[in-house]
Amino acid sequence: MIAGTVTGYFLLGQNPAVGSAHGKAQRLGMANLDWLVVRDLFLVESATFWQDSPEIETGEIVPEECRTEVFFLPAASHVEKAGTFTQTQRLLQWREQAVEPEEDCRSELWFFYHLGRLVRERLAASTERRDRPVLDLVWDYPTHGETEEPSAEDVLREINGFQVADGSPLSSYTELRKDGSTAAGCWIYTGVYADGVNQAARRKPRGEQDQVASEWGWAWPANRRILYNRASADPEGRPWSERKRYVEWDEDQRRWVGPDVPDFEVDKPPSYRPSKGASGVEAIAGDDPFVMQGDGKAWLFAPVGLIDGPMPTHYEPAESPFRNRLHGQQANPTRKSYEGLNNVTNPSPPEERSEVFPHIFTTSRLTEHHTAGGMSRYVGYLAELQPEMFVEVSPQLAAEIGLEHLGWCHLVTSRSAVEGRVVVTDRLRPLRIDGRVVHQVWLPYHWGQGGLTSGDAANDLVGIALDPNVLIQESKVGTCDVRPGRRPRGPDLTAYVHDYRQRAGIAEGHEIPFVTAADEAGRS
Amino acid sequence: MSRNSLFGPLDPAPDAGHADPPPRNGFFTDTSVCIGCKACEVACKEWNLLPADDAGSMDLLGLSYDNTGALGASSWRHVAFIEQPAPAAREPEFLGMPTSTLPGASPEHQRTELRWLMSSDVCKHCTHAACLDVCPTGSLFRTEFGTVVVQEDICNGCGYCVSACPYGVIDRREGDGRAWKCTLCYDRLKGDLQPACATACPTQSIQFGDLDELRERAARRVEDLHGAGVAEARLYGHDEDDGVGGDGAFFLLLDEPEVYGLPPDPVVTTRDLPAMWRRAALAGAAMAAATVAAFVRGRR
Repeated sequence: MIAGTVTGYFLLGQNPAVGSAHGKAQRLGMANLDWLVVRDLFLVESATFWQDSPEIETGEIVPEECRTEVFFLPAASHVEKAGTFTQTQRLLQWREQAVEPEEDCRSELWFFYHLGRLVRERLAASTERRDRPVLDLVWDYPTHGETEEPSAEDVLREINGFQVADGSPLSSYTELRKDGSTAAGCWIYTGVYADGVNQAARRKPRGEQDQVASEWGWAWPANRRILYNRASADPEGRPWSERKRYVEWDEDQRRWVGPDVPDFEVDKPPSYRPSKGASGVEAIAGDDPFVMQGDGKAWLFAPVGLIDGPMPTHYEPAESPFRNRLHGQQANPTRKSYEGLNNVTNPSPPEERSEVFPHIFTTSRLTEHHTAGGMSRYVGYLAELQPEMFVEVSPQLAAEIGLEHLGWCHLVTSRSAVEGRVVVTDRLRPLRIDGRVVHQVWLPYHWGQGGLTSGDAANDLVGIALDPNVLIQESKVGTCDVRPGRRPRGPDLTAYVHDYRQRAGIAEGHEIPFVTAADEAGRS
Repeated sequence: MSRNSLFGPLDPAPDAGHADPPPRNGFFTDTSVCIGCKACEVACKEWNLLPADDAGSMDLLGLSYDNTGALGASSWRHVAFIEQPAPAAREPEFLGMPTSTLPGASPEHQRTELRWLMSSDVCKHCTHAACLDVCPTGSLFRTEFGTVVVQEDICNGCGYCVSACPYGVIDRREGDGRAWKCTLCYDRLKGDLQPACATACPTQSIQFGDLDELRERAARRVEDLHGAGVAEARLYGHDEDDGVGGDGAFFLLLDEPEVYGLPPDPVVTTRDLPAMWRRAALAGAAMAAATVAAFVRGRR
């Protein structure tokens, strides 16, 4: 976005101005769009960055000149719409609509259905080849009520899949055919609408079924509660022990049985061995439980596919006060970074001047707030429980640099400076590493300029460094300076941070070395 | 008025005149499983429509993760966070191999790390409730469940109850003037529902039920904890022979009550009222006698 190659942005319940690494880069990126759509319960910072972000104070964003056209659309909350929750257990649980959304609040389903409908209306007369995919889509969801809300159950039925000829729902992904006679939105969900019944809406009490509770909601795939459950039996198909009895081979019935849906071809005996040259499912032997792997075996590491694999090793974070003690390579050499686009990295050994940022900071969450605060800082009962941005420090660090409990302090990195009230606690302890003591500080990242309680956003401190495989931001550790008192404001803040950059030798044109050689400090 | 109406063991609902009341209800708050989520505080405020931002509540208190501070007119549940430092500052040491015993389970395994005590405090619904005894308007009353409830449409804001409570629970709301406290969700009990806090508690730290059953359950829980080596586990407010005749809401604590900000030996402030009245009457009689005597003598 900063480079201008991305020109539009939909934000649905996300608040990157507060919740993503390097808040300033996020906001400057959003200020360089043609359009931005924010759908949220409240006017979160990502919707108001153009008028009240920290960059307004510093003059880096000027409301009258900001080119981004921002559309804020109020969202319906979870009690105002029907649909499913899916969690990390893979369980889909249906949620009923309790009340109608107020005023202009609408569900995401409503928004995308009607957006698609309007786009198709605009394109109806088009003969452009590029518009065919949009025009050829089946987009015929029936709506109901005054707000013309599409039926979420209807969408779930379509995701489940059906016979094209008569529309009857499929009950298992094994019924899918590649000849066009069946259709499904997502194969792992096939079965959630088996027999035309919303299986995710099942709520049989635990007292009325076994401990697997197969009739509470529906788990993808195939309502299977534990994956690879053939591994609960030994190679011969017998339970490893009575206590671990789960899925086993029944010789009389010639099939796998148990309280859960077997994660194995149900009639493939433990004695099955693939013939030479067999491929696909047929190549999986009867004692190979890990059916999603090509060889049916459990893998301790992935031999191919990882950018920095296959075996794990230790790297220091992108910013660290210490040399990697394991080997000469300091930080992950394959990490993804965006140097230059407002993103600079504090120096780490073997680079010089890492002492300009002598302390370690880490961020995490408070129980009372939800991530970037969009669902909690705007709610009185939650905001009052954690009413202010604060920084936790050890008694030792407080004594060393003169911090007072409940006084102010600020943290400085090469990206920004962030202030908070000081909370001195024994929970934070100095670390002794490599023969010297280093202090760590902790701060929550829920605050921004909006809400019933406002404060600086901790993620403004963080640089952008991503892991090479799935691009997770390294937002939990960095180096910083900690100073007593509040941070400078307005243009003084920019100058203050710039001064730190100068002292650290990372002003314009600085490049961090991705590959570091073995030296005396780095054991190799 | 029975002998025990101001002191000692008593079933308060029949004593208050309820004919054939249901079993006495109460809370058993087992702080050993409290995780400090504060769901009880929020659920209480949601159900009872308490104001969020009453005087000073948007302040950072610096008391660990507690920014409520104390029970008050608008906070009927309060989760305290008490950080107890490691027994002694020490040098880094080998942490040892993992063991199957709990820290502190034996003298060799004393607690070596900092710990948090988390505890959800609430109105104690005393057997002998001084707040109720001193209320001049009848706003405070004893329910059929044996609980103590203040009625906001009757309270005149005199504040006698505030100074009478031995726990410092009931309080007047700023800008409103009336006294407010936990009702043990009287409206929910009437509808066969559990109190909001107990319903919201994810770890069953807050248990609601018949007081007799809760006391048995609590005694078993203390035994279990002692058996598991948690020697410091103790009950608070369960004893009918204490200064308030036992609490309707009692606690399992992991340290002295003072550590949690609870009075170690609370006494109902109206306990001595009969004696005080007797002495006052005696003093009055003596004054009268002296006056009469003076006049008798004066005639001479």
